[in-house]
Amino acid sequence: MGIAKKISIWLAYLLLLLALPQFSDSILAISIYNQMAIAIIFALSYNMLLGQGGMLSFGHAVYFGLGGFLAVHALIMIEFETLYFSIIWIPLIGGFIGLLAAVFIGSFSTHKAGTVFAMISLGIGELIAASSLIFTDFFGGEAGVSGDRTYGPPLFGIEFFQDVEIYYLAAAWVFIATLFMYLFTQTPAGRMANAVRDNPERAEFIGYSARRIRYISFCAAGLFAGVAGGLFALNYEFITEENLNAATSGRVLLMAYIGGLGYFIGPILGAVILTLMNSLLSNYSDLWMLYLGIMFLLTVLFLPRGFAGFIMMHQIAWLNGSLKNLAVPYIITGVPAILFLVGGIGMLEMSHSEEEIFHYLGFELVTASLVGWISLTVMTLGALFAARMSLPQLRDAWEEANSLSQTEGES
Amino acid sequence: MSILSLTNVSKSFGETTIIKEVSLDIAQGEKHAIIGPNGAGKSTLFHLISGRYNVSGGTIIFNNEEIQNKPPYEIARLGLARSFQVTNIFPRMNVFENVRCALLWSSNYRYSFWHLLGRQGELNDHAMGVLEQIGLKDKALFPSGELAYAQQRALELGIAIASGAELIMLDEPVAGMSHSEAENAVGLINRITEGKTLIMVEHDMNIVFDMADRISVLVYGEIIATDEPEKVRANAKVQEAYLGEVASDA
Repeated sequence: MGIAKKISIWLAYLLLLLALPQFSDSILAISIYNQMAIAIIFALSYNMLLGQGGMLSFGHAVYFGLGGFLAVHALIMIEFETLYFSIIWIPLIGGFIGLLAAVFIGSFSTHKAGTVFAMISLGIGELIAASSLIFTDFFGGEAGVSGDRTYGPPLFGIEFFQDVEIYYLAAAWVFIATLFMYLFTQTPAGRMANAVRDNPERAEFIGYSARRIRYISFCAAGLFAGVAGGLFALNYEFITEENLNAATSGRVLLMAYIGGLGYFIGPILGAVILTLMNSLLSNYSDLWMLYLGIMFLLTVLFLPRGFAGFIMMHQIAWLNGSLKNLAVPYIITGVPAILFLVGGIGMLEMSHSEEEIFHYLGFELVTASLVGWISLTVMTLGALFAARMSLPQLRDAWEEANSLSQTEGES
Repeated sequence: MSILSLTNVSKSFGETTIIKEVSLDIAQGEKHAIIGPNGAGKSTLFHLISGRYNVSGGTIIFNNEEIQNKPPYEIARLGLARSFQVTNIFPRMNVFENVRCALLWSSNYRYSFWHLLGRQGELNDHAMGVLEQIGLKDKALFPSGELAYAQQRALELGIAIASGAELIMLDEPVAGMSHSEAENAVGLINRITEGKTLIMVEHDMNIVFDMADRISVLVYGEIIATDEPEKVRANAKVQEAYLGEVASDA
């Protein structure tokens, strides 16, 4: 990729970040943007471990949470004027603490990749989460600790009373963090992380200690997870044990995986998708966690390279202009597939519904009556059957779109 | 002057002794082949020298430095490079990245996270030069895991020689290749190891007798002869233990 093209992608990213509040600046929208910003940094930092370095961690929230706790304590110190600096630097404190924790924990956890690393990460995660409930002076017990970001010295008159002000601050940090994490992948240490992921043995025979390479990636991941935690502290002004426990560690794994581990942009997509699900879907359905689980399962089974991988699959067809030939086959398979999802979700929601009349997409279904159940079941199974029947035509169209490109490529 | 010298090197796994008191001197610039029946311990000997296994006894000296029981990366940094019997590349990275990674340490980048690889003109030219040598220049951006077998073997060689190591150890470099592929590979090996010391394990006797200055015959973990090809061929012990077996096989 040419340097001009790269710079224009980064400029577009920056502009998008700055323009987001122009699309909608409702309280809900800004709150979602802020969550996305935090999630993007966190998911990208996780990808440094799993996607780039081949380390499966079940405890990445430790670095996020510790960074966040120290950040809230820093906010409190600013409030009581023990510290005196603008709160815009708070994410750096989070990052420093995340780095410190990773330097210590990584010194023994990165000996091996694979199962050993995964188990240690799980153990450390549980250990820190349990400690956070024991050492209540620092972690605040179940209530957590809270601060107030508006007491710091104002920056050009901005006192960060409003969420939108925090958004612009978060946007700046997201941009910086994304840029640095990308640049890291382009350095010798970053590239050797890929080599160690692919083949740790061979990496040692070309002069690199696999363990040292893993350690460097691990520390960098801890640093950026801490930055995300610091941003979390600024946005919510409080943090609890929940933010460093296994549930948070699991969520960042889902984000990175669903988005696509093999691509730099993957975790960004995953962070955006999961934040949207988390904040929008949860308003409509109590079952959203179930849908998230199903989505994760489907991704693992059918899109092992995540959403980014799915998009990149179309690169060859796109390059050769045969992408448009795929539109009709996609619609033919897509319509029954969507109907299947609608039917399946309807059945799940209806079985969960405690009301007598279940409102679904403008229909009124009586939860106790057989008619509603039978019609939903028929529709769901029928749609599944239709989708399956249409698969061969999609497969043929796919092969044609891609094989066409090969003959053109050879000529 | 010998570049590598093994003195009474032994290796046991539990009760089983695989390598027994092996002593061997390799001269600078020599092309040395190690032959022997299956299970004689040839690959184990390679692993001992390159640091993949620790020795159970004895010393290995490379360029006046004891290297036995050092980790592989320290031995590699001293200028000892090796290839593997089973293709051992970085399959999810492209061909160019494979070779460039192999160049990083010797180009003094160490664990740097402050150099941008795209801007290291000399390094990138060097990597392209290696690709040209091994005939994979037009495959530079191809995912290495999807190369044809012979091309993967060439890349395997490329990774081994990229760093410019003085001593190159090749473990069955032409195994599994067709006759013409093997011929190409031998030509390639001759070109890229010119002026360097080469130790190779190989089963193809024609190639061995053609390429090697000296041959060591390893049988059940012991070197029963080390000599020039013609003398090895004439050696009665060798004929009995090894070549006779091949002859009767054929």
